Amino acid sequence: MNDALKSTWGPIALAVVAALAACWYLPTAMELFALINATVFVSMAILALSLALVWGYGGILCFGQAAFFGLGGYTYAVAAINLGDTTGAVPLAILVPACFALLLGYFLFYGRISDVYLGVITLTVTLILFKFINSTAGDMWTIGQAPLGGFNGIPMTPPLNVPGDMTAMLMPDQIFILAVIGLLLCYIVAKLILASHFGRVVVAVKENELRAELLGYDVRLYKLIIFTIGGAMAGLAGMFFANCVFVSPTMFSLSYSGQIIIWVIVGGLGTLVGPVIGCILLQMLTNWAGTLEGVDPNLVLGAILVIAVLVLPKGLLPTITGLIRRGHDR
Amino acid sequence: MSAMLETSGLTMRFGGVVAVDRVDMKINEGELRCLIGPNGAGKSTFFKCLTGQYKPTAGTIRLRDQDVTGWDSFAIARRGVGIKTQVPSVFDGISVRDSVLISARRRYGAALARSRTDDVLNRIGIQDIAGKPIGLLSHGSRQLVELATVVASEPDLIILDEPTAGMTAEETSRTASLIRQLNERHAIVVVEHDMQFIRSIAKTVTVFHQGRILIEDRVEVVMNDPTVRDVYLGKDPIRPAAGRVMA
Amino acid sequence: MDLVLVILLQIVTSVAMLALISLGLAVIFGMMRVINLAHGEFLMLGAYAAILATSRGINLWISMLIVAPVSVAIIGVVVERLIIRRLYGRMIDTMLATWGLSLALIGLVTMIFGNTNSGFSAPLGSVAIGGFRVSGYELFLIVFTLALLAAVYAVIRFTRLGLIARGTMQNPDMAAALGIDPSKVYAVTFAIGAALSGLAGALIAPLSGVVPTMGTAYIAKAFITVITGGASILAGTLSASGLLGTVNTLGSFLTTPVLGEVALLAAAIVLLRLLPRGITGRFLRGSL
Repeated sequence: MNDALKSTWGPIALAVVAALAACWYLPTAMELFALINATVFVSMAILALSLALVWGYGGILCFGQAAFFGLGGYTYAVAAINLGDTTGAVPLAILVPACFALLLGYFLFYGRISDVYLGVITLTVTLILFKFINSTAGDMWTIGQAPLGGFNGIPMTPPLNVPGDMTAMLMPDQIFILAVIGLLLCYIVAKLILASHFGRVVVAVKENELRAELLGYDVRLYKLIIFTIGGAMAGLAGMFFANCVFVSPTMFSLSYSGQIIIWVIVGGLGTLVGPVIGCILLQMLTNWAGTLEGVDPNLVLGAILVIAVLVLPKGLLPTITGLIRRGHDR
Repeated sequence: MSAMLETSGLTMRFGGVVAVDRVDMKINEGELRCLIGPNGAGKSTFFKCLTGQYKPTAGTIRLRDQDVTGWDSFAIARRGVGIKTQVPSVFDGISVRDSVLISARRRYGAALARSRTDDVLNRIGIQDIAGKPIGLLSHGSRQLVELATVVASEPDLIILDEPTAGMTAEETSRTASLIRQLNERHAIVVVEHDMQFIRSIAKTVTVFHQGRILIEDRVEVVMNDPTVRDVYLGKDPIRPAAGRVMA
Repeated sequence: MDLVLVILLQIVTSVAMLALISLGLAVIFGMMRVINLAHGEFLMLGAYAAILATSRGINLWISMLIVAPVSVAIIGVVVERLIIRRLYGRMIDTMLATWGLSLALIGLVTMIFGNTNSGFSAPLGSVAIGGFRVSGYELFLIVFTLALLAAVYAVIRFTRLGLIARGTMQNPDMAAALGIDPSKVYAVTFAIGAALSGLAGALIAPLSGVVPTMGTAYIAKAFITVITGGASILAGTLSASGLLGTVNTLGSFLTTPVLGEVALLAAAIVLLRLLPRGITGRFLRGSL
C-alpha cells in the first residue's frame, strides 16, 4: 500500500497543487493574448499525455494521434453550431473520436497487424482524413447548419458557454481554467489506470505480448481499450483547441502528428509528466523560433528530434532523474 | 485415469518440412511426463501447437474432452494450460512480484491474488529478489521467475520446455524437487536433455524423433532401449536420409 | 476507343510515377530494413538540384538525369554517416530520426529558397492520339521508368555489387565473416537509394511543381507502395504500384482527384489487412 501511495497518490497531489497554482496565478498575471496562447499549450499538453499513455505504456506507436485531435475539434464545432448550446457538444467531442479509435483499433489489433505496419496505417488514415476535410469546400458539405469549409475550416467555432445557458459564453480566463482542470483530470485518470490491474496488464503486454497471451490475457482487447482511451483524451484536447483557435484541416496534418511524437520522445517515453513538460517547452521554443528572422521553425523542430533520438534516446525527464539518482547514490 | 490432454494425428507442416508428424499423445490428470529427443525432433513445435501459437496443419487437440484445436493462445491458457518456454519469456521491465501478481490476478480477486503471489514466491524460493526488475536478473533466476509466473495462475497442466537450461547444479537439483512438489497439484510435461535429471523425476518417458513418437514407456525401459541410444548418439536406424535433413 | 486508350495511358502513367517515386525507398527498405521518412525530402532535393543546375545554364537533361541523382547521393552518404549508421537495428528510432531530418530539410530549404512554387516546364511537347493530345514527357517517363527498373534488376541480379548486397541482406553476420564489410555495403546501398530518389524528384518536377513541402505529398504514397509491396524490391514495387496506381486513376476518373487519392490509401489499408506482410510476403516469395 505504501508503494502505491508513493507512486500514485503522491504525484497526483503534486499535480493538483501545480494545477491550482496555475489557475490562480496565470489568469491575473498574463495578457489576454498570452492567456489564449497558454490555453493552446494546455490543450496540446492533453494531446501529448494521450500519446504518452498509448505509446509509452501501451507500446502502440500511433502516427495518427492528430486524427483523433482533429475529429474532437470538428465534432465540437459542428455539434455546437447545430445545438446552439455547447453542453452536449463537449461529451460528443470525446465520444466521437473514442468511437473512431475503437473502430480503427479493432481493425488494427484484431487483424494482428505488426508495429511498423500499424504506424503506416495510422499515418495513412490521418492523411485520408486530412485530404477529405480539405476537399469539403462548398455548400454540399454542410452538416446541419455547419459548413465544413474545406481548406478554411470553420472560423465561427463557438466558445464554451455555461452549461444550459447558451447566452452566457465563457471568458478566455475561464476557458483556461477549464483546460487546466481537463489536463489534471486526464493525468489523474491515466495515473489511476496505470495503478490498476488493467494498467499493469497493459504494461505487461507492452513488455512481452507473447507471455501475456500465454498467461491467458487477450492482448488485443487490452490494446484496444488503451488505444480508445487515448483517442478520447485526444478528442478532449481538440475540443479545447477549437475553443481558443478554430478548427481547420491543419489539425489533421502530418506535422501535428509529428510534433506529438516529438514531445513524447523528447519528454521521455514511459513517463506521463515528461511529455507534458516536453510539449510545453517545445511549443515555447517553436513560438520563439517563429519570431526569429530567417529561421524556419521546422528546422529547429526537426533538429531537436534528430538530436533527441541520437543523444537522449530515453528522453529528457528519465535522463535528468537518472542523473539525480546517480548523484544521490554517490 | 481420465485424459486431461489428448492429441490425435497432430501434424504441423512448414512448406515441405513436417515438424510434427501425426502425433497421438495422452496425458492423464496429475501425471508427470518427460519428453526427450534430439534437437530438431519437433518438441518445441509440438508445444507451440498445444498452446495455440501455431495452428496445426491437421489433427485435433482435446483438453478434458473439449476440442481446442485452432483456438487462440489466451483461450487455451484460460482452459488451464501454462507453459514455460525454452528461451525464458518474461516481462523485463516489470518487477518479479508484479509479474507473478499479474498472472495470479487473472484467476483470483485482488486480496487472494496478493496472498497467492507471496505463497508462490516462497515456494519457488525467489522472495528475496521479488522487488527487482526481471531484466536485471541472471539467466537461471529468470527461468525461476518464469516458472513462478506460470504457476501463479494455477494451471491444470504445466509444460516446462528445458527448465534447467543455464542453471547451476544447485539450481538444477532445487528445480527437480520443485517439479516433484508442483506435481502434487498440477499435471506436468517436462522436456529435458539431462538423463540424470529425468531419472530423478519421471515415471513415464516419451521419446520424440523426427516429429514422431519413437517410443513411450517407463523410464527404465526407455533408458535401456538400443534405438533411443542410437538416436542420441546420432546414428539413425530408421530413416537415415531424412535424418540428415532434420539435422 | 480513343478515350479508352487515353485512360489506359493515364493508368500506366500513374503506375510508372508511383514506381518511380517509390523505388529509392524500396531499395533502402528492402536491403537495409530502414524506413527512411526523409524520402520525400530526397525527392524535393533532387528537384531543387535540377532547378539550380538548369538556372546555371546546364542542359536540362543533364541536370535531371545526372546532377540531381549525384547531388542527392552525396547528401545520402552524409546522412548515412551522421544518423542512420548510429541507429541500425532500431527500426522505430530510425523512423523518428529520419522524420526529424525530413522536417529539418523542409525548414532549411524554405529558408534558402523561400516558400514559393518554382519549377521548369516539361520538355518534349505533346503527341496526338485520335482527338486527344497526350504529353510526350509522360510517355518518356513511362519508358524511362521501365528502363530504370530493368537496370536495377540487372545490377542486383548480375553484378558483384548486387550479389554482395543480396548476401548482406540475407545474413549480415555471415557476409561479415566472409570478409565483406556490411557497413560499407549499407553506405553504398543508402547512397544508391538516395540517388534513385533524387532522380525521381527531378523527373517529376516538371509535372508537380517544386516547393519545399513537395515531399510530403509523395512520402505517404511511396511509403504505402513499398509496404504494400512487401519485402521484394522490384516485384513488390511493381505489383503494388500497378495495383494502387490503377485504383487511383480509376477512382479519380469516376469521382474527383481527391477521392481518387483516398481510394488509393483505402485500398492499401484493406490490402495490408488481408496480406499483413505485403503482396510479395504472400505471392512471388523470394523474388527480387
